[in-house]
Amino acid sequence: MNEERNKKLSDEEIIGKVRSSDQELYAIIVERYQSKLFRYANNLIKDEHKSADVVQESFIKAFVNLNSFDTKKKFSSWIYRIVHNEAMNVLKKNKKEISIPDDMDFQSDEDIEDDFIKKEVVAKVEKCLGEMPMLYSEPLILRFIEEKSYEEISDILRIPMGTVATRISRAKILMKHLCQKN
Amino acid sequence: MSKELKNIKESVMGKIHQGKVKMRPRIYFVMGSVLTFVGLVSSVLISVFLIGLMRFSLRAHGPMGEYRAEQLLTSFPWWSPAVAILGLVVGIWLLRQYDFSYKLDYKIIVVVFVAVVFSAGWVLDMTGLNEALTRRGPMQGMMRQYLEENNIQPEFGAGWRGPRGLRTIIE
Repeated sequence: MNEERNKKLSDEEIIGKVRSSDQELYAIIVERYQSKLFRYANNLIKDEHKSADVVQESFIKAFVNLNSFDTKKKFSSWIYRIVHNEAMNVLKKNKKEISIPDDMDFQSDEDIEDDFIKKEVVAKVEKCLGEMPMLYSEPLILRFIEEKSYEEISDILRIPMGTVATRISRAKILMKHLCQKN
Repeated sequence: MSKELKNIKESVMGKIHQGKVKMRPRIYFVMGSVLTFVGLVSSVLISVFLIGLMRFSLRAHGPMGEYRAEQLLTSFPWWSPAVAILGLVVGIWLLRQYDFSYKLDYKIIVVVFVAVVFSAGWVLDMTGLNEALTRRGPMQGMMRQYLEENNIQPEFGAGWRGPRGLRTIIE
């Protein structure tokens, strides 16, 4: 009964409880975010084991520093930011180029019904995104895969909203050019 | 993928249960913020004063280039840039420690810091506030020692003649 009620609480309310009395509730936060964060990290790193390590390390860092989190702000942006930083550290260490996942799906005006065509498009998109600098591909991933708002992307990447809009706009143009070239 | 996810939850909660991972107390972050603020403010103030001291040193030795350069090299307080750089490094280290989730562009911080210090130093010098401070404030002893060591007689006793008075007397 209590467990059900706790699950209905907002992230920020749960964090408040974890900080003040019940650390066990942190499991709800982990459950809520692990899949999304794993997908996000894997989109950046493209390595499931390393992505799992990044997410695990991020949850631990978030827990250790939970008292520095401002509950008036969105927890989701905060935890995504931590994962972003951890992923960047891994990428810097490995100097590995990023790519995109197989199931990536961009919003499109085109009505694609045929699976074969869809797969072909996804493969093309993957190739295009792989050639794109992370400066542009990451906002695209956050916007279209993670379905974050411009404001959230701005919080996660610590760049002004105008810059987010510009990068996404440029990324779309870049994507078009890269895809046409391919 | 599901196996990986299961491991994440088990591992994170396991470490919390075993006490391997502990939440830092709130006071840690409060103290961190206070220290960062105090450190940065002190660093800016010291650096601004040192900029003023450098300009004063340049002016005090007159217009002869060679002599001035020589004087600058021999009597320049070399510890001052070291202190300023140390302050900056400590400030950035504190920011990294207490604001761990932020990915700060340290190049921008350094550029902004140096710009702020030089602009503030220039503004203080133009308004004459630094001269007033060196005569009355806590830096008076330091400035007097500097003047004595370098045999400079600025006639402090002659009276304050406006914001640029000291400069007029020396030059």
